[in-house]
Amino acid sequence: MNINTNTHIKEEKGVESCALPSYVRLENISLTLSEKSILKDVSFSLPATGISSLIGPSGAGKSSLLRCLTNLYDNWQGTISVAGINTRSWHGGDDALRRHVGLIAQKPAVFPASIYDNVIFGLSRKERKQNQSSRVERCLTQAALWDEVQDRLHDPANTLSVGQQQRLCLARALALEPKVLLLDEPTASLDPRSKQLIEASLHDLAKDMPILCVTHDLEQAQRLQGQVIFMCDGKVIEIAAANDFFEHPERLETREFLRWSVCDCD
Amino acid sequence: MKVFLSLLALPALLLPVACFLYIIVQAFPALDWELIVGSSASSGAAGNLFGDAANAGHGLWSQISGSLLMMLLACLLAAPIALSIALFHALWASPRQQRMLITLLQVLQGIPPIVYGLCGLVLLIHLLHWGISLAAGGVILAVVILPLLSSNAIHALQRIPIEQTESAKALGLSVGAMITRVWFPVAWSGMLTGLLLAMARALSETAPILFTATVFSGVLWPDSIFSPVTSLQTHIFYLAQEGSNAHVIDVAWASAAVLLGLVICFSLSARLLRRYEESS
Ligand SMILES: Nc1ncnc2c1ncn2[C@@H]1O[C@H](COP(=O)(O)OP(=O)(O)OP(=O)(O)O)[C@@H](O)[C@H]1O
Ligand SMILES: [Mg+2]
Repeated sequence: MNINTNTHIKEEKGVESCALPSYVRLENISLTLSEKSILKDVSFSLPATGISSLIGPSGAGKSSLLRCLTNLYDNWQGTISVAGINTRSWHGGDDALRRHVGLIAQKPAVFPASIYDNVIFGLSRKERKQNQSSRVERCLTQAALWDEVQDRLHDPANTLSVGQQQRLCLARALALEPKVLLLDEPTASLDPRSKQLIEASLHDLAKDMPILCVTHDLEQAQRLQGQVIFMCDGKVIEIAAANDFFEHPERLETREFLRWSVCDCD
Repeated sequence: MKVFLSLLALPALLLPVACFLYIIVQAFPALDWELIVGSSASSGAAGNLFGDAANAGHGLWSQISGSLLMMLLACLLAAPIALSIALFHALWASPRQQRMLITLLQVLQGIPPIVYGLCGLVLLIHLLHWGISLAAGGVILAVVILPLLSSNAIHALQRIPIEQTESAKALGLSVGAMITRVWFPVAWSGMLTGLLLAMARALSETAPILFTATVFSGVLWPDSIFSPVTSLQTHIFYLAQEGSNAHVIDVAWASAAVLLGLVICFSLSARLLRRYEESS
């Protein structure tokens, strides 16, 4: 990825970054939707590089948390800062924040355009006018999709399979060269081989950016290394490095979840 | 049971077909190409009958063009407003405002069109002195079709999957870019379907333009939007009032057939478009 810009931002915030090794920081995030409490006092931070896995049972509020991080939900309480800047007062507003923090949604949604146009969809009009073949190739390769689509780049994107669409969404987000990546079950409908390729890509990308990856696949969370954040019922139950988390879970709820995949945290 | 229900449903199927055939049969004596595009004297007899020199010597062309002109004007006026209403509903309205807006549109759709005609008469013609004119007819028809057009546009936008909207936002697209680059490409067919249905509606509406926009005869092509027009719908009404002459009635039936043909054209294209939308 674009290392220069990344270090540039670190230099800009040099002093702060040294004081805070975390790049993304959430403090006491609470969210209420339709009078239902979805997130309760969630706090954690993502280091400047490396993958963090977010796990938890269905309905724990993982997707909702990612939406809060990019202000897709904007009625949350608390403080979120990225690169030391409060996301509420992000320079350039929510649109600029969302280009900085890439989010790949749980359910893939390709736009009614060609595969090629989908990859460059988020670029500015000027950039879209220019020839972006190399960028498209690089992003599709990073998303482990290039081999399958390289000779039908100008076919409509909705002719792709769901798993391919999911990878296309990843490529589309990567084309914007975000500085943080939030992934919501990026490998949910993929075969083991593509899964492996994506994980390799993520390890590669994570060398110079923080990645937060929601997953239901505990083995994947183990493979991704980094820290594991375990959420249940809108609360963070335990945060630990992957090895510690899976080998010596501290909390009773975590042990229950790891053993029986149930979580009773009331 | 099934047979019984089918028998009950039969009139619903047969009646429109019967009506359609009946109109065609009735229209047949007077219906020819000359009458439709006619500038010659095919309906001249009818004109002469009223002793109206200006009406003599032309077919239904001026009525057809009058109807279409008014319909176009109405759509040109109503479409942007309906679109704005739909966008307001989708982007900025609170759930409460959304409910209120939907209710309001339903109420407006329930108002008999002649009431709009009356309001138009008082407001546009008496108060603003527009006179009986194409403009008055267009504006009134625009108001008549606006609720229909707006609720169709709202539904077209509501059918856009939420994932599309969220993905567009997540890519940092501004609201304007999201509307033009994601919403319209996804929803255009639904919106166009609504527009075609509204066009059919505007073509068939008679009461509100009867005393605000049209005259029986004497107009080939309106000079300006502030001059009166003739239209197919009202032409039928005027002709039918002169029930004594057989040829006049034939021309009325022919007008009805032409009008029906136009309305069916718009409705059928709307249907086809919906079919296309559902298949893709
Ligand atoms: N718009 C909404 N209004 C009300 N409740 C909502 C809304 N969206 C989500 N929820 C609720 O929020 C809770 C968390 O949803 P979320 O999608 O964040 O779960 P998740 O952890 O991503 O689950 P999964 O693993 O199945 O994707 C669920 O109980 C859901 O019913
Ligand atoms: Mg989810």
